[in-house]
Amino acid sequence: MTDLNAVLDAATKDFDKSLERLFQLVRIPSISTDPAHAGDCQKAADAIVADLKSLGFDAKAHKTPGRPMVVAHYTPKGAKRDTPHLLFYGHYDVQPADPLELWDTPPFEPTVKKGKDGVSRMYGRGTADDKGQFMTFVEAARAWIKATGSLPIKATFLIEGEEESGSPSLVPFLKAHQKELACDAAFVCDTNMWDAKTPAITTRLRGLVHEEITITGPKIDLHSGMYGGPAMNPIRVLSKVIAALHDKNGKVTIPGFYEGVADLPKATKKQWQSLNFSDAKFLKEVGLKEPAGEKGKSVLEQVWARPTAEVNGIWGGYTGTGTKTVLPSKAHAKFTFRLVGQQKPEKVLKAFQRFVKDLIPKDCKVEFSGRGGGSPATEIPEDNPFIAKSAKALKEEFKRDAVLMGSGGSIPICRFFKDILDMDSILVGFGLNDDAIHSPNEKYNLASYERGIRSWVRIMGEFGK
Amino acid sequence: MVHPDPVLAEIDQQFPESLNRTFELLRFPSIGTDPAHHADCRKAAEWIRGQLAAMGFKAKLRETTGQPLVVGEYAPPRASGNVPHILFYGHYDVQPADPLELWTSAPFAPEIRKGRTGREAIFARGSADDKGQLMTFLEASRCWLKVHGKLPFRLTVMIEGDEEGDASHLDTFLKRNAKEFPVDAAFICDTGMWDPKTPAIDTRLRGCTGIEFTVTGPRIDLHSGYYGGPARNPIKVVSQIIAAIHDKKGRITIPGFYDGVKPVPRKLLKQWEGLKFPARKFLADVGLSVPAGEEGYSVLEQMWARPTAEVNGIYGGYRGPGSKTVLPSEATAKLTFRLVEGQDPKKIRRAFKQFVKDRLPPDCKVRFDDSGGDSSGIAVSEDTPWIRAARAALKAEFGREPVLTGAGYSIPVVESFKKHLKVDSLLVGFGQADDNAHSPDEKYDVDSFRHGTRAWARIIAQFAKE
Repeated sequence: MTDLNAVLDAATKDFDKSLERLFQLVRIPSISTDPAHAGDCQKAADAIVADLKSLGFDAKAHKTPGRPMVVAHYTPKGAKRDTPHLLFYGHYDVQPADPLELWDTPPFEPTVKKGKDGVSRMYGRGTADDKGQFMTFVEAARAWIKATGSLPIKATFLIEGEEESGSPSLVPFLKAHQKELACDAAFVCDTNMWDAKTPAITTRLRGLVHEEITITGPKIDLHSGMYGGPAMNPIRVLSKVIAALHDKNGKVTIPGFYEGVADLPKATKKQWQSLNFSDAKFLKEVGLKEPAGEKGKSVLEQVWARPTAEVNGIWGGYTGTGTKTVLPSKAHAKFTFRLVGQQKPEKVLKAFQRFVKDLIPKDCKVEFSGRGGGSPATEIPEDNPFIAKSAKALKEEFKRDAVLMGSGGSIPICRFFKDILDMDSILVGFGLNDDAIHSPNEKYNLASYERGIRSWVRIMGEFGK
Repeated sequence: MVHPDPVLAEIDQQFPESLNRTFELLRFPSIGTDPAHHADCRKAAEWIRGQLAAMGFKAKLRETTGQPLVVGEYAPPRASGNVPHILFYGHYDVQPADPLELWTSAPFAPEIRKGRTGREAIFARGSADDKGQLMTFLEASRCWLKVHGKLPFRLTVMIEGDEEGDASHLDTFLKRNAKEFPVDAAFICDTGMWDPKTPAIDTRLRGCTGIEFTVTGPRIDLHSGYYGGPARNPIKVVSQIIAAIHDKKGRITIPGFYDGVKPVPRKLLKQWEGLKFPARKFLADVGLSVPAGEEGYSVLEQMWARPTAEVNGIYGGYRGPGSKTVLPSEATAKLTFRLVEGQDPKKIRRAFKQFVKDRLPPDCKVRFDDSGGDSSGIAVSEDTPWIRAARAALKAEFGREPVLTGAGYSIPVVESFKKHLKVDSLLVGFGQADDNAHSPDEKYDVDSFRHGTRAWARIIAQFAKE
């Protein structure tokens, strides 16, 4: 315990320098999607490598077909075989900064401002996504090494430079470095807290299946005057399919769709209820009033723990201005399904295809894109030891229980770690919903940065016990 | 009635000249919807005016809000108030000719050759729609005048240039100038025969009214990961509305939709049954096999005598390649309703709007666009002197009783005549189903042209007194 306190003290004392180190990184405009900034990405990767080397890491910026991948390993003195080996993931690339005119301060000149609410925030592209976030574990490592001469765990840092451009090099890289990167668990620092005072671990990510269908009725577009009446209209057929997807209670009607979906554990349900999440406010912000998901489930449950069937796009017939009296030959729609629990993407895809076929009249045809597919949900059981220890450490830092959140979206890296390296991902991050990531005036609260560093100090300590 | 033989003989004797004149008209690329061809439209109109003047008509180009309208007035010498006043209508504008590469011969260089059916035909854009057709009437009148020196009725010839474009130009003109045209009936030559041997008179036209509706759910597009579940999806709302329009039997469920729809008279229904319409082939030709209209009605009835609700287009959300996890803010559908006699287009639109509103979740909004205009369905009584005359004349020319058909589509001018001039239209035409109107290799059978011209002479004869 004395060790831990000493490390926490070191972290706090060193905070101004931690901030300056982060700022140096933010000043590098490492925009991965813009080839003009490829040199900046290299510069950022090199700076991280040099910094980690100075801490005693075995660090290297690996070449990839795209931007360099930083990998760094640290094995503490006296490490044993059963000393936990943890991977920490972040990314040094950032989103483009435009529209520049909407920034109050230049995006690559990090600036601290104190708001009227007394809260200090640093502004700059990448402060929250993800330079400020991954630097929390870099700085935590620095504090441990400074205060105790070593880390309490074996650590591997993986800092990529293509996250904002879809991580094209990541999968081949993980496959090529499977042995080097396989750890006991992966910590991903790219998510948010529940609110400024309440830490969170994201334990549920919905999976996703996508498919596109084309329904053909008559083999050519027809004149609605000539054929209106006897000719089957594929838009009508498609509408029936879409209308039939849900029952009156918002439940998806595809047979077998809910296979593998478990009820939410009571404890989790209770925790989520206690969050006092305002369904009305959440919907009002986007101009809605009534939750449209499954009846009897709260909005949080609908977004975090329930599967969905969604139409993302539809088109058919005449879509220009004015009227055209056409009976179209074809109608198209794009669908996605958010998956939870043990729902299997292939099974859901097949069940959907069967469901559609059953609704197609005899003389219509349906074609599926042939590119349908997706990935299952990621759910880390809440009794997973890595979750439990992380939650304990977070509670000690924030004096509040960490919320075990879901996220309606999917974070592909978690799938890759599981599928390629067979490790669970623990998503711990210190961002806030108002950080404006991807937007002008991106910011990261100074408290997020400081408490983030201190949290990682505690988490590393917890696993080193 | 005067015996038409001398006029028929004249028609046959000078037939090559009739063809030549028609070719002259076909050479004008009078595409009304293309501003680059507006000068050609005027030239075609001027040519027709010249023809009418040469036949002794007082003929003028009248300016409209669109292309010029040819109006030719004819009054027989010493006409008493008793002679009927007939309006003849056709249109000189044509559809665009593209795709040009699919034409066997140039669209505006008419030629006669055998078509796929082995029948000789005039190949050119506009040959069937409508220059060849309108010329049947003009040539019949010309020959009649040559033989008899006068027509047995007052005649107003009205040839417009906006039929393929915006029907409102002629409608506006008629509305403004209705008093100038105190006619008793309108003859229109822009329809088809039942088959190459059987003439037809169209007595029913479905009307049409269009409406577009857009449903807005969330005020912006949403990420389906963060909002999928609780957020209302407007595509779904639109789909549910469309899916609810028809019941399982194909009947339209909009309250009040069928108000005013009358059953087809038994006699007419029997004639239609007698036509042995090849419904199976009709559907098979376009890749279908099951009639999708109201159960209990034949395909012909579904097309000619029953109203419909059709979705012509739908769109919303992401339509590009691949997948995008978006929940759209809006979705739009375009509908048209085919209406039959007795239905009020305005009432139908009101009823549909209510139908949509009744199915709208409380946090969605809907906006409508019904600016497209509309037309009512028309069913002409079979018992008018005009139809009686046409039936007798067509039977004499073709040796077969003409079929009283319907047409699923609307001919807006019929409604304009009804509305502004208060007259019914007699729809007699000689087109064939394989004429490719609006498509490459448009043609008009030489027989259509010959018998069409002769048939009009016989119709004129019905009104002439010894």
